[in-house]
Amino acid sequence: MDNNAKMQSINLNAWFGTKQALKDINLSIKPNAVTAIIGPSGCGKSTFIRVLNRMHELIPTAKLTGQVLLDGEDIYAKEVDPVMIRRRVGMVFQKPNPFPTMSIYDNVAAGLRLTGAKKGKNLDEVVRRSLEQATLWDEVKDDLRKPGTSISGGQQQRLCIARAIALQPEVILMDEPTSALDPIASAKIEKLVVELKRDYTVAIVTHNMQQASRVSDYTAFLYLGALIEYGSTREIFESPKNPLTEKYITGEFG
Amino acid sequence: MSRIIDRGLEEQAAFLAKMGELTYQILDISINGYLEGKSVEPEVRELSDLLVAMGNKVEDQTFQLIARFQPVASDLRAIKSYMKIGNDFARYGRYALDIAVINTQISGLKECEAATIEYICAMSDKVLSMVRISIDALKKHDIELAKTVSQTEREVDKMYLTYLDGLIHKEQANSKCVISSALMTRYLERIADHAVYVCESIVYIVNGEKVALG
Amino acid sequence: MPKILNSYRFRRFKNRLFFGICLACVIIAIVPLLSILFEVIARGASQINLHFLTSNVLQGGIGPAIQGTLVIIGLTSVIGIPIGILSGIYLAEYGNNKFASTMRVINNVLTQVPSVIIGITAFGLIIIYVTGTYSPLAGAVALSFMMIPIVARTTEESLKLVPNSIREASLALGVHKWRTTISVVLAAAKSGLITGTLLGVARIAGETAPLLFTILGNSFFFQGFNAPMDALPLRIFLNSRLDAAEAQSAAWGAALILILMVLALNIGVRVASRGRNLSFKVT
Repeated sequence: MDNNAKMQSINLNAWFGTKQALKDINLSIKPNAVTAIIGPSGCGKSTFIRVLNRMHELIPTAKLTGQVLLDGEDIYAKEVDPVMIRRRVGMVFQKPNPFPTMSIYDNVAAGLRLTGAKKGKNLDEVVRRSLEQATLWDEVKDDLRKPGTSISGGQQQRLCIARAIALQPEVILMDEPTSALDPIASAKIEKLVVELKRDYTVAIVTHNMQQASRVSDYTAFLYLGALIEYGSTREIFESPKNPLTEKYITGEFG
Repeated sequence: MSRIIDRGLEEQAAFLAKMGELTYQILDISINGYLEGKSVEPEVRELSDLLVAMGNKVEDQTFQLIARFQPVASDLRAIKSYMKIGNDFARYGRYALDIAVINTQISGLKECEAATIEYICAMSDKVLSMVRISIDALKKHDIELAKTVSQTEREVDKMYLTYLDGLIHKEQANSKCVISSALMTRYLERIADHAVYVCESIVYIVNGEKVALG
Repeated sequence: MPKILNSYRFRRFKNRLFFGICLACVIIAIVPLLSILFEVIARGASQINLHFLTSNVLQGGIGPAIQGTLVIIGLTSVIGIPIGILSGIYLAEYGNNKFASTMRVINNVLTQVPSVIIGITAFGLIIIYVTGTYSPLAGAVALSFMMIPIVARTTEESLKLVPNSIREASLALGVHKWRTTISVVLAAAKSGLITGTLLGVARIAGETAPLLFTILGNSFFFQGFNAPMDALPLRIFLNSRLDAAEAQSAAWGAALILILMVLALNIGVRVASRGRNLSFKVT
């Protein structure tokens, strides 16, 4: 067990029905750092990240063995409530998905309101702080009552990040957060990710290798469901130890 | 799978191979000119300038490749090393020019004893062989070949220090010989050092190891 | 082949002929609706006045029928809408299993069952075994058998239109599934649900057969849950079988009121569903 890890998977195997998506993954996510998970399509990186916040099990045929530790405790233990885990481990998705029937303000406050966590909190303040942290406040502060879908794609994604942050999770998972965005919006999100690691632990799945090398401190390379190599981003992108990693990041396949 | 960056890398490698052959040529001319007492400075100067220009081109190409292709891992190491090696090859050229200059300005080995001439000949052979190894190992990215310079480098170092030591303690009649041969052996030793740097870069390109071969 | 059949002019003629036949068919298809409207308005419009709309049948009015129709629609909605929507929610959100698939099939069959069979079933089940008399409740139950499948199906379809990414976003925040369904999914499908409800009401507003078996008809205003009650379709049916000219005219008047009600509901459905396609704007 890695005592320095915020989250850690131990002998993790996952299936969709009979198809095995993850094979014996032992991977640590270090605290207050950005860990990038890279690999070709279908390598299991999205599956892995959804295991971390117990979203994997929402799919009907999903199965899983092994442990996933959050601060040393298994989140898949019998008495653990997945809903509670998801409040501590937030997620931002590939396509921005603000709630269409809610305003910008309501979107950010949604997490607190719908989980009953709003008691004793000043919602205005929480909304403002979250939007500021997501570097969106200045752009929307006069339009908080406008629908969440009335802003641009890049802004919507930052809104989703603000929504996730409002609950003050410990870990933020990001599943290809900039895939659907233009380069400038992507650059803003990347900068935000690097700032977020000050207060949160971030794990980001990306198929863009340059993005992984720009934003992350640690990189894990997955291929066909197995963890091929893990190391500091510098090491991986300068001198990877595994020839398969070398082949992938230099673009020889994938 | 052939990638866009491959063409750039191959061009760079071919260019360096060409440059390498030129360095061997220039060193051959200059060293032999010195040993035989022939004046070769104009020719050597021309080649040396060419090598410097080529070195600059390698540097420019390196930045082009970085800016356009964002290389990583072995590609990145190759590109970084090619730039270093281009620099080392240009250095070969400069030292060749230095040797040609002292040959012209002071003199060659004409004023020296036979034993000295033989000694310096032997040292030159060793150094030229190291240069040869560095060029060939680069062409083939051959680590084993590259590592063989270690041995020769130690020998050259020893020969250099021994000779200097000898100069200090020996009663010299001919100051021209003393100065000329001291400078010559110095340049030979430096050329050997750069051959080692090139070989270390080759190892780094292939497996990312930063070794000390000297 | 004779040259004439290949010429451009003949081909153009064929095109126009085909177009003409289609157009003629469209006109033929609309004619019945227009003629219904025309006939009903022509014969019924003269009957409409305040007295007609508010007096009981013996006084020559159709007040009880209007009241009855409103009562029966109200009662049916109270039963049918909640059950329909909740069923639809079950099928959409929790219905990934064999039981749900079976339910869907049964549901679809129910929408096709002839209303007279529903009526007679309601008579046998409720009036004979439960109430003992004709009863608006029995009528409401019978009509809800027709309303529930429609509301359930449209609810399910509306909910399925809500992108899964919205549900995921809510669940990922640590919101319970039931809360997600209510606060996020239902809210997003709101206009679809309203459309579905209106569709359900429009469907049952003009049904006659089930009412024949369960509330029978009455000349007077509402007389309690254990007595027969009047309704517009019933009034039309009953009056049309009488010889008296006043009865016939009253029937036409009732028909006009009923058709206006149904038209209003259908137009309401159109208006409500107009907003639906705009809710998932992608930028």
